[in-house]
Amino acid sequence: MAKKMLEVNQLTTKYITRQGEDVYSVDHVSLDIEEGKSLGIAGESGCGKSTLALSLMGYYFPPLHYTSGSIVVDGKDITGLDPDVVRKTVLGTDIAYIPQAAMNALNPTRKVGKFIEDVIKAHELPMDKKQIREMAEQRFARLGLPVEALDKYSVELSGGMRQRVVIAVSTILNPKVLIADEPSSALDVTSQKMVIKMMKDMLASGLVKSMIFITHELPLLYNVTDDIMVMYAGQIVERGSAHEMVFDPVHPYSRGLMRSILVPEEGTRDVKLTAIPGTPPNLKHPPAGCRFAERCRYATNACRYNAMPILEFAPGRTYRCGHSVEHLREVYASEDEE
Amino acid sequence: MSKGTKKYFKKKIIWFLITLVVAVLLNFFLPRLMRGPGTPMRFDPDIINAVNEKYGYSRGVGVTEQEGKTYIDADQWNVYYEQEGKALGKYKDRNDVSIIALVNKNISSEAMKTDEGLRAWCASYDAIEKDLGRDGGMLGELWHFIEHIFDGTFGKSTSTTRYPNTVASIISEGIVWTICLQIPAILLGWILGNVLGAVAAYKRKFWDKAVMPASLFISAIPAFGSAVILLVIFGVNLKWFPVNRAYDTGMIPAFTWKFISNVLWHYQLPFWSIVLIAIGGQAVGMRSMSIYELNADYVKYSRFLGIKDGKIVRYVFRNAMLPQVTGLAMSIGTSIGGALVAETIFSYPGLGMKMYTAISENDYNTVSGTALIITIMVLIAAFLLDIIYAFIDPRVKAAQFD
Amino acid sequence: MKTKNETGILKDSVPVGQKTDAQMQDDRESVSFGSNRNKDFSKEPLCLSGKGVTRVFHTGKVTTVAVDHVNFEFHKGELISIVGESGSGKTTLSKMLLGLLEPTEGEIFFHGQPRDISSGAKKREYWKGIQAIFQDPFSSYNQFHKIDAVLDDCINMRGGKNLSKEERFNMKVEACGFVNLKYAELTNKYPFELSGGQMQRLMIARIFLLKPEILLADEPTSMIDACSRATILDMLLKLRDETGMTVIFITHDIGLAYYISDSVYIMEHGKFVECGKPDKVMLTPEAPYTKRLISDVPKIHEPWDLSTVG
Repeated sequence: MAKKMLEVNQLTTKYITRQGEDVYSVDHVSLDIEEGKSLGIAGESGCGKSTLALSLMGYYFPPLHYTSGSIVVDGKDITGLDPDVVRKTVLGTDIAYIPQAAMNALNPTRKVGKFIEDVIKAHELPMDKKQIREMAEQRFARLGLPVEALDKYSVELSGGMRQRVVIAVSTILNPKVLIADEPSSALDVTSQKMVIKMMKDMLASGLVKSMIFITHELPLLYNVTDDIMVMYAGQIVERGSAHEMVFDPVHPYSRGLMRSILVPEEGTRDVKLTAIPGTPPNLKHPPAGCRFAERCRYATNACRYNAMPILEFAPGRTYRCGHSVEHLREVYASEDEE
Repeated sequence: MSKGTKKYFKKKIIWFLITLVVAVLLNFFLPRLMRGPGTPMRFDPDIINAVNEKYGYSRGVGVTEQEGKTYIDADQWNVYYEQEGKALGKYKDRNDVSIIALVNKNISSEAMKTDEGLRAWCASYDAIEKDLGRDGGMLGELWHFIEHIFDGTFGKSTSTTRYPNTVASIISEGIVWTICLQIPAILLGWILGNVLGAVAAYKRKFWDKAVMPASLFISAIPAFGSAVILLVIFGVNLKWFPVNRAYDTGMIPAFTWKFISNVLWHYQLPFWSIVLIAIGGQAVGMRSMSIYELNADYVKYSRFLGIKDGKIVRYVFRNAMLPQVTGLAMSIGTSIGGALVAETIFSYPGLGMKMYTAISENDYNTVSGTALIITIMVLIAAFLLDIIYAFIDPRVKAAQFD
Repeated sequence: MKTKNETGILKDSVPVGQKTDAQMQDDRESVSFGSNRNKDFSKEPLCLSGKGVTRVFHTGKVTTVAVDHVNFEFHKGELISIVGESGSGKTTLSKMLLGLLEPTEGEIFFHGQPRDISSGAKKREYWKGIQAIFQDPFSSYNQFHKIDAVLDDCINMRGGKNLSKEERFNMKVEACGFVNLKYAELTNKYPFELSGGQMQRLMIARIFLLKPEILLADEPTSMIDACSRATILDMLLKLRDETGMTVIFITHDIGLAYYISDSVYIMEHGKFVECGKPDKVMLTPEAPYTKRLISDVPKIHEPWDLSTVG
């Protein structure tokens, strides 16, 4: 069995609102990724996927707070470490992050090369300016980025280039886990493809040892990651391989998501788009039972009042639902016949 | 230099020149609009004699006794004077108040009782009028003004105590005081304002709640207000600092500790009143800039790359501070205006005080000259700051130069 | 009825009769296309068409041709997608369609007649028949107007000024009902108190009241999630069926355009490089640009070829 790069156990984090209320937007999340693998996280906006990305780094600042659970990166538990130790030895080296708004992720008044210098220096690595420059140049050349970009400010780069530069900067220290939060949603399809190719190449060549990819674009996720995990209201509701999740989703919410995929392919026009009525619950007062029950057409009273654990029903496949897998599949099959 | 850069420069320089020309014209005309015509002085002995002979008046000036004890009123006499003067081809309106004052200073009323005295008066008036370039009407005077801008003298002062010293000499007396007072004060105010604004944005809580209303309050006080408040509290009531002048009367400027310490002591009140004005405006702007920058995406990103908070705070303040450079450029005009007021209130011998004195003495050349030099200084400062800003802030560079 | 299975989870195969609010609001589960799916619209009367429509912008010495001699024919009741990447000129074209910009060359026809919006009165007349919805629902509302006022405005615009209070109330309830919103919950609220999804729905309720001939939707679903997207699309399609309005989608989402449209126009550098039925354009593209665009979109049945990048 391949080495586990990231193991997250029952991680719970919360936001404390200005009114002092606790909002548990990541609730007992467990996940793991093996070396060389990628995991996709899907879900509606507000389901907690971006918060999960931030929570996984073990570095918290208000309004986000750590509550419980553990994060183990390549055998090292990073929860409970001193924040400055996390900053110096985990961020950028163990876990790197590509933010949602990568267009504005670079300091507008700092040249790319200088910023890389700041990153290296923040980790107190024994390198002088010349060595850092050499390393940056080599890395840019390897990733197919123009070396001149190092002497430019972010405003001087085009959107797609800026995005790829951010990825190059994030991964400059060869992180064990790369967390990418919607890295390509602001780009047009051609730039998106270039960004994705670059990220896949980095994973394949081992520059990055594993990857978490967050997006609401399911066709993209399907093509990028090995596994897909669906989040709903701060919890994981289902996990499986990308292929299984797209073609054989078990959880009613995952099924709703997967049935909303629209791609320019034969057959798409015949698909019946499924609308999921309603909105996700308010996490200030989460429902006692299944969090999706309010919107679920198969929900029973038991669903609404009994806490719902997550269960493994096949190797590598977990789900969180009050109905059995067989039952759900039967229902789906009869629906598809209609 | 790229094409965009050149274009940017060209644009900035053209604007600078246009503003400069407008400033010269305004500085010339505005003070002179206040100048009303004075009473014409009818002192030409030749005309007086002609009037007397023709209408049989006895010797005298202006109001004259007629033989047979009847009096003619001055207006009638003036009409005769004008008629005869024109007939002789010698009539001239000698009505410029400041020139009259200058002439009267040199010729005693006793001397005026003789033809020679009167002739000397007229000759002196004409000479000074020519000297001041006022013999060719308003346009001639404008030309004279412009000519002397270029030779650097700014013309001559018409103050009775100063004439025939040049305006430049007055400016040179005041400019050192003004520069030494205002540049440090405005800069310190700018820096303190920015630091306060930044701290308020970063620390929030107490700082934000206490500093911001105070800054808003101060920035809303007119310039003379803060000067008067400081003067009353620290000068009049507490008597910590002297309330006027740059150094004690009777002291002779010298490079001695005694003199310098005295100057510094006098320096405090005007200095801090200017600092106070500058702080208020800058702090408010800097606070909102900093809050905006602190929420920028790059802050979060840098944090998650493991960059230290101290470094990130430096990024933020640098980025928030840069636009404040234009803030400084824009506020420098108002700051100097306020600073001039402070100078007058504390009788500080800078350009503001010189201008104030010149206005009360109808010394238009000096008013125009000092005003112009202040305008030029402000314009150059704003121009340089604009150029510097465009170079140090890549965000503007990208926006402006393309 | 209830039995515990081995895992200890309550199993209950019969849904309890009591429905939640969400279910009561929405019993339609999937998008219904109505009778107009795959209909041949070319026989329908022309609604909006254009010949050689061009828009040139001058900034300093630079001349940009944003829209370059495009021809189009939009029929009554048809759903058209204009697909293009950023900078393709689709926003400029949509502004011309809305009558916010005049073409520098060429002509736009309304009902087959040259469109005349030369005077303010004619413009307002034209705008009665055309409505737009934008991607950011927040920017479309006056934040200081209550939702009642927003809906009342729509009724007034349709000449309902003299209606009684009760009639207006009924109209508003009906409009909100159409988009599965409860009027009672919205009344007396301000737009910022609504969620993004509610706001999008309210926007459609507005369209429902206005019943325009033409609806121009500029990236209407790019800010909402895939699940809510289906709901919005469903409502738009239903509205189209009921009122026979022409819907123009401006989008960069190729999958969406393929799924929903009756005809598709692909735009590149201000020109229509390809147009026609979605099946033809998307499945057997001819123009090189369309081919590239389609191949750059990730799909789920065909492999996504990353080697063709840049």
